[in-house]
Amino acid sequence: MSITNKITVKRAEIAVAVILALCSIALMIKSAENRITWNAEENMGAGFLPFYLSLGMLICTILTIIKFVLKRSPQSKDDNPFIDAVAFKFIAVTIISLVVLVLAIGYLGIYFSLIFFLAFYLRYFSEKSIAFITIFAITTPILTFLFFEWMLKIPLPQGISEPLFYPVYDFMYGGFSFAVKMIFIILTVVLPTALVFLTTRFIK
Amino acid sequence: METVGFLLDGIFTSLQWFNLVLLIFGCLIGLFVGAMPGLGSVNGVAILIPITFIIPPTAAIIFLAAVYYGAMYGGAISSVMLGIPGASTAVATVFDGRPLAVKGEAMTALTAAAVGSFVGGTVSVILFTLFAPPLAEVALRFNAPETFALMVMAFATFVGLGGDDVPKTIFSILIGLALSTIGLDLITGKPRLIFFNIPGFLHGINFLVLAIGIYGIGEMLWTLEETKGKVQMSKLSVNMKEVGRAFGALKKTIMAMNIGSFLGFFVGILPAAGATPASLMSYGITKQLSKNSKEFGEGVPAGVVAPECANNSASTGSMLPMLTLGIPGSPTTAILLGGMILWGLTPGPLLFTQEPEFVWGLIGSLYIANFFTLVLNIALIPAFLMVLRIPFAILAPVIFVLCVTGGYAPTQSLHDVWLMLLFGIAGYILRKLDYPVAPAVLSIVLGPLAEKALRQSLILSDGSMGIFFDISEKPIAAVIMYIAIVLLIMPAFGPLYRRFYKKKQTA
Repeated sequence: MSITNKITVKRAEIAVAVILALCSIALMIKSAENRITWNAEENMGAGFLPFYLSLGMLICTILTIIKFVLKRSPQSKDDNPFIDAVAFKFIAVTIISLVVLVLAIGYLGIYFSLIFFLAFYLRYFSEKSIAFITIFAITTPILTFLFFEWMLKIPLPQGISEPLFYPVYDFMYGGFSFAVKMIFIILTVVLPTALVFLTTRFIK
Repeated sequence: METVGFLLDGIFTSLQWFNLVLLIFGCLIGLFVGAMPGLGSVNGVAILIPITFIIPPTAAIIFLAAVYYGAMYGGAISSVMLGIPGASTAVATVFDGRPLAVKGEAMTALTAAAVGSFVGGTVSVILFTLFAPPLAEVALRFNAPETFALMVMAFATFVGLGGDDVPKTIFSILIGLALSTIGLDLITGKPRLIFFNIPGFLHGINFLVLAIGIYGIGEMLWTLEETKGKVQMSKLSVNMKEVGRAFGALKKTIMAMNIGSFLGFFVGILPAAGATPASLMSYGITKQLSKNSKEFGEGVPAGVVAPECANNSASTGSMLPMLTLGIPGSPTTAILLGGMILWGLTPGPLLFTQEPEFVWGLIGSLYIANFFTLVLNIALIPAFLMVLRIPFAILAPVIFVLCVTGGYAPTQSLHDVWLMLLFGIAGYILRKLDYPVAPAVLSIVLGPLAEKALRQSLILSDGSMGIFFDISEKPIAAVIMYIAIVLLIMPAFGPLYRRFYKKKQTA
């Protein structure tokens, strides 16, 4: 029996309800670090709202658990797998690659991490050629860079790759004319594409 | 007459070249987002909101409203061609749209959907123009107690009319509110719920982090599971003769258009309802009232027109409480409302007097967007069919890139990206177990506003909750509060009623 068959909707429902109940209790304890009282003389304590909101959450999860025990909710009678094996592979690989992507962003910076993420994801899930995947994985971060850093002026995290971008910034904010900058933008997208295209042709 | 002047100003505002370019661009993105299975208006707006920070608020709202609108039109394309609703708002379109496509009349279905959307959109914008100014005028007299009562009613509608499991719905509302209390307390200035002393929590949790997590990452995970990356498309022949015949078939759908437009608008105004129930309801009612109700489900144009009219009409309807009362009518407008706060505006009736260009620019743009989306929709059907052939395995990583960059951009902190990922995964799991996620998004947006209104009211009343229930002192707040209480306890009477009804039948 595979692991996906063992995790039935029924088991997932009760496990999630218990986890949510524990989270609510943790929230209540955390809220109690501030004053949770409120009466006419004193203003509302900073912890009052979060405390009673999480108490409400706890009551809701307890009601869900009671409904489960009394078999009143559709999930409490459902013995189907929570997720089927094929879909589980999709979801698990996606989640893991996203976690690795965010970890990598902190270290490598977003642009290089994206290249690896896209290359891996497309190679794993799609049946596209290596040439397509390479072009896609390189042009997407370039377009992201042009859009965020150039158009919106929002810097994205660059991690250890930051020094590599200094010349680009010098160019972006240097005294070049609009036409030169546009030619540069077009070239940054066209050149890698052409290069990959030619290389794969040559290898064949 | 004054309204006509404002409206003309608004239409001119939305026709300024910068706004017009954004409007057309927004319509196109909306159509695209709507057409992709799994992505709807709410996903499009949530993912795109971070890129509107550098443009003026009027242009930003015109762009996002166009995305919202376009998605309502676009949803029909995949409902008809793939048999998978392009968005939850287009679920009812599948019922008759898909059988029409299977019969080889896909073009009739797509034209009916586009024209239906146009009629629904236009009727609702006219209703909107008529209703908004007087409602805003009434709302101007609202103070903190009335505002708080309205917010409680918005939450209560989810419980009373949402139709989901009650404890799970309330849980969703409360967790959204609890998340909105993280950060510095606005009265005492004390830090609240700073987990593990991570400084990132000090600035609170931006609603966008939750919205992009749930509607970007979570939705993608959901769709990956549903489609496993594979879809099957119907054949389509596009020629002018087909389009002409399709228009001919629309003569018989006038009743469906009326039901869809008016019902959609009023259902859209309700906070919990939005476009999905509106389209399902108007499909059901049109079917019941139709002379040939037995043909519904086998492919009749009226079955496509009714839900498409309704979902467009409801999307406009849901903007009415957003603009006039500061209470969103749907998850998408909740995100738009959050956006308004980020752009530095105060949602509510004061917008009509303080920011007339913003309000009327938006209303004017709805008229223009309707027209452009109809034309673009019919003209670009072949292009959208190509888009539908893009494998999900390619589209998904692109959406993930947009989510990660969109989650990072507003606060420029990786902390928010981690939270977004966490919310996305949690949202996906909770949604699989029938926890509704829309109330959480609505309440994280309304949370800070509700807390402010509550505390101001309590200062007014020297700490007495009676201020919300005293008919002689604050009649509007009290009436709204009592309606909210009725809505909250309504689900409890459902089982009792059913039991009573059963007994009566067996007797």
